[in-house]
Amino acid sequence: MTQNICTLITGASSGIGRETAIKLSDSQRILLHGRDLDRLEETRQHCKNPLDHYIWAADLGDVKQIDTSLSSALSRNNIKISNFVHCAGTLHIGPLRLQEHDATIDLFNINFFSAVEISKLLIRKKINSNILHGIIFVSSTASKFGARGFSTYCASKGALDAYMRALAVELAPDVRVNSILPGAVRTSMTESIFEDVDIINRMEDGYPLGLGKQSDIASAVEFLLSSSARWITGQQLVVDGGRTVNISG
Amino acid sequence: MILNPLDFSGRKVLVTGAASGIGLATCKLLSELGASVVAVDCSETGLANTLNSLSGTGHTSHCFDLRDVSEIPGALVEWAQSDGKLHGLVHAAGSSLVSPTRLFSLESYHDVMAVNTEAALALLCGFQNRKVCLKEGGSVVFISSVMGLVGSAGASVYAMSKAALIGLTKSSALEFAPRGIRVNCVAPGFVKTQMYERMALMWNDDQRRQVELAHPLGLGEASDIAHSVVFLLADTSRWITGTVLVCDGGYTAS
Repeated sequence: MTQNICTLITGASSGIGRETAIKLSDSQRILLHGRDLDRLEETRQHCKNPLDHYIWAADLGDVKQIDTSLSSALSRNNIKISNFVHCAGTLHIGPLRLQEHDATIDLFNINFFSAVEISKLLIRKKINSNILHGIIFVSSTASKFGARGFSTYCASKGALDAYMRALAVELAPDVRVNSILPGAVRTSMTESIFEDVDIINRMEDGYPLGLGKQSDIASAVEFLLSSSARWITGQQLVVDGGRTVNISG
Repeated sequence: MILNPLDFSGRKVLVTGAASGIGLATCKLLSELGASVVAVDCSETGLANTLNSLSGTGHTSHCFDLRDVSEIPGALVEWAQSDGKLHGLVHAAGSSLVSPTRLFSLESYHDVMAVNTEAALALLCGFQNRKVCLKEGGSVVFISSVMGLVGSAGASVYAMSKAALIGLTKSSALEFAPRGIRVNCVAPGFVKTQMYERMALMWNDDQRRQVELAHPLGLGEASDIAHSVVFLLADTSRWITGTVLVCDGGYTAS
């Protein structure tokens, strides 16, 4: 690891992003993104060789700042990004009549528009020297299926997947772009869904292989970034323990 | 020791269509990862070549024509008795047919369906037998095709046979999840195999170029599909079942 070529993981201070960062840190340098410096430092301490990895603290809700903030993080540390894994995400659950425009904009900023800004920046030759070759969006099965109270979340993940397919075609053959569609995995983002034992039991019934672990998603990220997946681009990989083929769930 | 989640040491995997193309590439990759392979094909000489090209030991082969669909479940029980129980099953054998619908022949339709689809069902039936698969479960991977997802003139019969595998994957994934048996399929785009070369003989240079251009990453290699199959067989995909993994160089995204 002599060159500062990194995999950028957004949302790395918790949940799937944190788990993915720790797993990938075995084999590559990571640029850990999150909002909270202390929690990012905590993730870094769990990575292999903590000093090999970098931190970029920024609020992705502030989309207009991303360009400046990320490009200065790259130049400050003399880093180029070879892979971009977008794990950052937020969830507002609520019926349609209670959906506030500002909250919807905030959700789209974090789940979708930030991915657009980061992707745009990373294909700029001046900033990233054509080093980028892999993009993974952590989407959701909510991109393909509806759920009560999830309307804006579903829409943001649908946008992410449509964007993924278009990018895959536009950036081939230099950059492969795919998304992973996890079913319900217990993380700090989904904690509100999991706080009730009855709900956990009912949910578990809908998952033929039971509920998933964060490491199940991290394994899929690792596969799609690796050369084993060199001919896979523009695809949604569903990792959900069989939930979405289960019509009785 | 470095943990390798793709380690297949002590695991036995049966692969159909093992003499060529995707089946052969899958056998090779599995053997490099420490698996013992049960190679099945209808070509005796092809099987001998496959066995010669594998790494490691403990591999076996069986010359069998999958068109004998009703014999398949019994054959799997017999092979499990002689070779040992299976961790995984890969159905890579396939028959291609490109023919306009006006030339429809029930005979050639039956031939394609027997090898591609009916054999898949019979293999699954054999695999789930407690005398065949391990008690803790296992992983089954069917090779479908992008033709099961999108259309191509003249490919009706082939498309039917491959789309059926997607239906089989989803329902059987639910049926066998309680037993720890995962069922998934890989849907490849156009891969440079002998089967592809036979199909391409019917195209002119322009058509060949068009097929290549339709894949933003170019045409695939059999080994590309083998890597996806192995990901779905291994514990890396412990929470994946009923899924179609499309490996097509961007063909269906554009």
